[in-house]
Amino acid sequence: MTFKEAVGLTPNLETAWKDGLGALEAKDRHHIKAEDTRQLRGSADVDTALRLRDPNANRWDFAIGYQHTNRNAEFIYWVETHTGRENQIKDVLKKLEWLKTWLRRDGQHLDKLDRDIIWVSSGHTFFTKGSAQVKMLAQRGLLYSGAVLRIPNERTW
Amino acid sequence: MMTLRIRNVGQITDASLMFGDLTVLVGPQATGKSIALQLLKLMVDAGQVQGELSRYGLDWSGQLPDFLDVYLGEGMHGVWRQGRSSIEWAGRAVDLPQLAARKRRAKNESLFFIPAQRVLALRDGWPRPFTDYSPGDPFAVREYSEKLRVLVEQEFGAAGDLFPQERRLKREFRDLLEKHVFSNFHLRVDKVRSQKRLVLGPQGGNGNLPYMVWSAGQREFVPLLLGFYWLMPPTKVSTRAEIEWVVLEELEMGLHPRAISVVVLLILELVARGYRVCLSTHSPQVLDAIWALKHLRENHAPPEALLKIFGAPNTQPMQRLAASAMEKTVKVYYFNRETGATADISNLDPSAEGQAEAGWGGLSEFSGRANEAVARAVTNADREEQR
Repeated sequence: MTFKEAVGLTPNLETAWKDGLGALEAKDRHHIKAEDTRQLRGSADVDTALRLRDPNANRWDFAIGYQHTNRNAEFIYWVETHTGRENQIKDVLKKLEWLKTWLRRDGQHLDKLDRDIIWVSSGHTFFTKGSAQVKMLAQRGLLYSGAVLRIPNERTW
Repeated sequence: MMTLRIRNVGQITDASLMFGDLTVLVGPQATGKSIALQLLKLMVDAGQVQGELSRYGLDWSGQLPDFLDVYLGEGMHGVWRQGRSSIEWAGRAVDLPQLAARKRRAKNESLFFIPAQRVLALRDGWPRPFTDYSPGDPFAVREYSEKLRVLVEQEFGAAGDLFPQERRLKREFRDLLEKHVFSNFHLRVDKVRSQKRLVLGPQGGNGNLPYMVWSAGQREFVPLLLGFYWLMPPTKVSTRAEIEWVVLEELEMGLHPRAISVVVLLILELVARGYRVCLSTHSPQVLDAIWALKHLRENHAPPEALLKIFGAPNTQPMQRLAASAMEKTVKVYYFNRETGATADISNLDPSAEGQAEAGWGGLSEFSGRANEAVARAVTNADREEQR
């Protein structure tokens, strides 16, 4: 199944798929650097699509589909853009929990595709890559990328 | 700010360094950091370097290749490529062949150089004289070793404790060093059949440990401690008046992170005393400290916030040190192996677009990859569990 098909089959997300990085607001697009933009398989604004359904939840921002040249199936980058401050960690972890719960409940098709879950900093970052905070996030499955998510053409793992 | 520009010397294609009160050089092995620092010494102290070499009978016949072999070390003449290599110091071109041709002699030096190979300065627990080395050994090592010899013989000639000493270093530093480096052992001069040597031993007691049984970190640290002693004399004037610059290569060698943090704090003490300090390092901990210093300053944090990072006591002398350090300018440069050029990464912004700055010149790269692998493993395991 492709990323586009999986989005189309997900409740509340049926019409959320956009070509390229079209589902991202302009302010967020420059945080994503794909090695080959032709390999992008679209994007979906999860936050907006689920606003009516889960108005008070800490919803995740968006998903980006990518076809790595050395993999058969498409890959999903689940991206949250958020300021990189220590006091935001709790908020982002709540969003992560929401994402995992939602994927289990409604996102089975999307859940079948391999993924990374990424926190991209939307402003200054106040913790370092070697910090305990970033390690704690990694232990929960959340990768902190700094200001830019670089998507390479090939990925081995 | 003083600037040094080096083009096409050794591995360096274009290094442009603007020195702050504290300047830190990072980059992989053999990218030219040490050459840059030794050239800085030469720019500041050409007369003293040449005077010392002549005093010990080294003759380079006015030829630059021979001069580079005695100054940088045997075989190093190849770093200079005639017609292509160039140096600018403080905005002015320096004619290095001409500098080598003119034998100058000056007694005083302005730059105190603590080389990475400082562990070689002690043999059997006593500093080696300049002439104990081979003529092909780098000047920086020989000169440092000689300085330690003079210091130990003139100021600590009599048997007794070198560390701790009441008039040497602040009490807070002595406490931290006792705890994190010396494990409550004392450093003292001992005599075996008329031969003096440095030993570590319990307070006032027997059972001195000779140099060869010290831990690797202690062997590395003692020559560094003696350098700090030299720079911080036990007089009313807290610095060596003639010294403006201090270069310290790879301060972290052989040391546990807790000991590294004391050494970084000692560096801040040097900066607070008014020395202009240049470091090279492979330790992410040093950049952690610089990064924190910058943000504490920008966010008007109190001095105790800085002391907390180092686990240092919040006493008045230490507060004064921290307050002074937080006012100083800090520059960080990355020596890029691929391009041979330097990059100013002083902002140390982990969210910077440039990999050199975001990855702190490669020092946080490994942590980044470890985080990446763990995050992926966890997210994959989550999915497996759901199925």
